[in-house]
Amino acid sequence: MKLLIKSAVIVSKGHPLNGKKTDILIENDVITSISNNIDIKDAEVFTADNLHVSIGWMDMRANFCDPGFEHREDLHTGLNAAAKGGFTAVALVPSTHPPVHSKSQVEYILKNTQGTITQVFPMGCISQNREGKDMAEMYDMKLAGAVAFTDDKRPVQNAGLLLRALQYNKLFNGLVINFAEDKYIAADGKVNEGITSTKLGLKGIPALAEELMIERDIYLAEYADAPLHFTCISAARSVAIIKKAQQKGLKITADVAAHNLYFDDSVLENFDSNYKVKPPFRTQTDIAALIEGIKDETISVICSDHSPLEIELKDREFDHAGFGIIALQTTFATANAALKNKVKLEDWLETITRNPRKILGIEIPEIKEGVKANLTLFNPDLNWELKPEDIVSKSKNTPFIGKKLNGKPLAIINKGKFNIC
Amino acid sequence: MSQLSVKHLLGIKDLNEQDIQLIFKTADNFKDVINRPIKKVPSLRDITIANLFFENSTRTKLSFELAEKRLSADTISFSASGSSISKGETLIDTVNNILAMKVDMIVMRHPNPGAGVFLSKHINSIIINAGDGAHEHPTQALLDAFSIREKYGDVAGKKVVIVGDILHSRVALSNIFCLQKLGAEVMVCGPTTLMPRYISSLGVKVEHDLVKALNWCEVANMLRIQLERQDIKYFPSLREYSMLYGLDKKLLDSLNKPITIMHPGPINRGVEITSDVADSEHSIILNQVENGVAIRMAVLYLLAGRADK
Repeated sequence: MKLLIKSAVIVSKGHPLNGKKTDILIENDVITSISNNIDIKDAEVFTADNLHVSIGWMDMRANFCDPGFEHREDLHTGLNAAAKGGFTAVALVPSTHPPVHSKSQVEYILKNTQGTITQVFPMGCISQNREGKDMAEMYDMKLAGAVAFTDDKRPVQNAGLLLRALQYNKLFNGLVINFAEDKYIAADGKVNEGITSTKLGLKGIPALAEELMIERDIYLAEYADAPLHFTCISAARSVAIIKKAQQKGLKITADVAAHNLYFDDSVLENFDSNYKVKPPFRTQTDIAALIEGIKDETISVICSDHSPLEIELKDREFDHAGFGIIALQTTFATANAALKNKVKLEDWLETITRNPRKILGIEIPEIKEGVKANLTLFNPDLNWELKPEDIVSKSKNTPFIGKKLNGKPLAIINKGKFNIC
Repeated sequence: MSQLSVKHLLGIKDLNEQDIQLIFKTADNFKDVINRPIKKVPSLRDITIANLFFENSTRTKLSFELAEKRLSADTISFSASGSSISKGETLIDTVNNILAMKVDMIVMRHPNPGAGVFLSKHINSIIINAGDGAHEHPTQALLDAFSIREKYGDVAGKKVVIVGDILHSRVALSNIFCLQKLGAEVMVCGPTTLMPRYISSLGVKVEHDLVKALNWCEVANMLRIQLERQDIKYFPSLREYSMLYGLDKKLLDSLNKPITIMHPGPINRGVEITSDVADSEHSIILNQVENGVAIRMAVLYLLAGRADK
């Protein structure tokens, strides 16, 4: 590969050329030159209006449903969606069937994703069978390549188990990730408990269910003196609780799904199950607090929470519909729209570039001569629309079809490969 | 105006005040009809109505069936317990099968909120919601408001308290919307565990003391405790519920003024109201039942009219 990127604005906090327009030459898989007006005859040239470039984006949580639910998504289609969404790296949640709870599943995922332009980083389960009872073989999974441990959207309810998992992971620098939702408070809730749930007669999930478990887990992390990451937080008070813990010096980090920054629960008025997600869409107050949390870096990662579901599980009575939306192709646009004029692009781009890698202990790419090229090219102002035929996921459960979106990845470069988004 | 603004009756939320008044006026006429020696009119001849009850019901189903028969519609009925119908495709498929038999209107009761809205996105026929989970039960709210109007001449300005399990009650929600659209003042009263946290955002007063609530109101709508819709226990026992929220004759007589007692039925006698209250001159419970038929005739008639246009 000999690729010349013409006139791209570098977006990379702290980079000497941050905000500057430049050319970048990539030969094979290495950045060989960064300077103005590179003129190489035999190179393939890529340029576009308002072209921006950053290090390759990383999504910290997506579900590719493989093995076990390949009718929703598989490693191949999931990777296509990630590439189309501008991601050169993606961490996968372990809620497959069987779940990723031993090294065999970790190896299966890594073996089947070798050499792909978007690199996969599997996460393993905290508990065997993701049942929340006994610890899974996390050390063995870590050796096999698992980057973190989580029971995904089936949070560890048993405080003793979470405490032991936190303590045990210290042996090998493992990271525990918990999705906070107390099941006794959330009960059988379907949407945010609020004015909308009251009007619709739908069972509510109070923000309390999340806040309570975050408080509990912070106590456990402090006791264990271990790092802990909260995934998919959604409530204003959660941000405040996490901020307090961070100020105290605890190693607490958090992520938020892009769509939780974008929609509030009023979108549910028509019982459209494409808006049924977990954690549920909450209120404008929560959104404002989440955005503030990104601004002050309490929340350091924005994720896609890509959750494919077949139409039979979505197009049904709201109570029976599954939670989740496919999001990889729209994550950037969603976050971009939610954060525009509120958080500087170079700041929030950290949440999908350096920060997830930092938290998961993955090598962070750089934009400099002599290093391997791992880049995402994008236009942060491009207006576009998601058409059904553009969706490369197997499932189509997204509320964004036909919606006007702003900001789009244009191409990714990684492992000597170049892919148009 | 002689036409509703909606194609379906999915909830009171979707109606405007003119719609409700039109339904009332139409129901006035039908109430005359059902009190005549010949109680039947040919209005819906050649219209086929399917009554789909995916949740147990006795009186609502009977009331709809009677209303349909009084209008000379052809009817078919389907009942299934909630447990056997829990899959979405079953709902669509069941309904599509029935529609393939050329049905014009569907009256549906379903355990899930929004089931009627969901169905309306998938099929062409006219849908009347006969209760969807804890969401709405529009014809019940209409007949309740109609009964208040009958007793007082007008609903506007009346003070109505709804007592009981507000959390699981579609009757409460539809009543709140309906009474407010008609200008009544609404209060909800019940145990703290059965009160939606954000209910006051709907513009209702919230009271947990039954005596205070009854002294405030002119009409008390005593809801049935829906044990079947409570998957967890919200109060220790029916006995204790009755101690706090049961209305007996002694309490009724101690109030500062006579009030009207309503109940959507079926009554748990001795739980939310005692027999002497249910059967007293203050009670309009049986008028509600009679008005239910007239209201449902009006709704069916008006929506069928829209179908022709």
